[in-house]
Amino acid sequence: MNIRTQVFVAVIVIIALILLINMIRKNQLELKYALLWFVLGIGILVFGCFPWLTASMANLLGIGLPINLLFFAGFCFSLMIIFSLTMAISRLSVKMKKMIQEIALLKKQMDELTKLINEKEEEKLK
Amino acid sequence: MKRLVIIPAYNEEESIENTVRSIQKNAKGFDYVVVNDCSTDRTAKICEENHFNYIDLPQNLGIGGAVQTGYLYGYRNGYDAAVQVDGDGQHDPAFLVQMAECMEKEQMDMVIGSRFIEKQGFQSSTIRRVGIRYFTFLIKMLTGVTITDPTSGLRLINKDIMRMFAERYPNDYPEPESVVAILRRGKKVREIPVIMKERSGGVSSISPQKSVYYMIKVSLAILIERIRK
Repeated sequence: MNIRTQVFVAVIVIIALILLINMIRKNQLELKYALLWFVLGIGILVFGCFPWLTASMANLLGIGLPINLLFFAGFCFSLMIIFSLTMAISRLSVKMKKMIQEIALLKKQMDELTKLINEKEEEKLK
Repeated sequence: MKRLVIIPAYNEEESIENTVRSIQKNAKGFDYVVVNDCSTDRTAKICEENHFNYIDLPQNLGIGGAVQTGYLYGYRNGYDAAVQVDGDGQHDPAFLVQMAECMEKEQMDMVIGSRFIEKQGFQSSTIRRVGIRYFTFLIKMLTGVTITDPTSGLRLINKDIMRMFAERYPNDYPEPESVVAILRRGKKVREIPVIMKERSGGVSSISPQKSVYYMIKVSLAILIERIRK
């Protein structure tokens, strides 16, 4: 990695982080779900700014080209983020099912009560 | 004994009225509730016009979620037993009384109406029977109990199981999986022979394309259910 790619990567990551923070600030994004992306951004920034770190780690793991370590790490991290989404959806679908069922049961109760009240009112009028 | 018939209905405008009338006539001692799973046809309207007792789901949940709503309703309203009868006219309500008697006399937790004990009436297609045999085999291997008709929707359960199912119930193709779930907890399940008819309207939820998914999903679900804590 030469200095030009380093600057290029750093600029892109910093712009992305600013956008991310801005979205959290405007409440368009929950901090809880943005956290993983935040960590990813910081990670890329660190490895981009200190190429020797990447190189020594690649060496440690027996990976020939340092850039391949970055690709591999990025891929693993993306999978993690995707998996966390699957988990979130799975949790949400259970919650939503329970809610739909509660609403349906409440609606039924309310219809029955309304009917009862209407009948009482009619009796009064007679 | 308060007993409830749960009729899950998704786009059953052709048969829902006959199904409910037949239950009112033939299932003595049973109340009923129709669970309209957000049908896109006139199912809800027919229930409304005929003053049927029905629950209207605001979003489509699939068969599992719809039946579970019925169990929730039954449990909260103090029913002692609940049975699922499909809205497509496949199940004959005349057997319900027999099933309830069996449950009470022999203190069963679940009574399943099986097509394959006396092998009378509509027996499903050959390919489906092979699939059902396979599930019977799988359940026998995993629990040691023979369930001749593990895909039968005609199942009477007691209050205890109702509470369990209201808590957790599979979303799609729930029958084989939930049988394993209760067998594993040492509950008593009995099958009695029934005669089923060919569906009088609507289409099966298991189309040929879905049958591959069905086999894989249900097999996996049964295996995972077996190793659950």
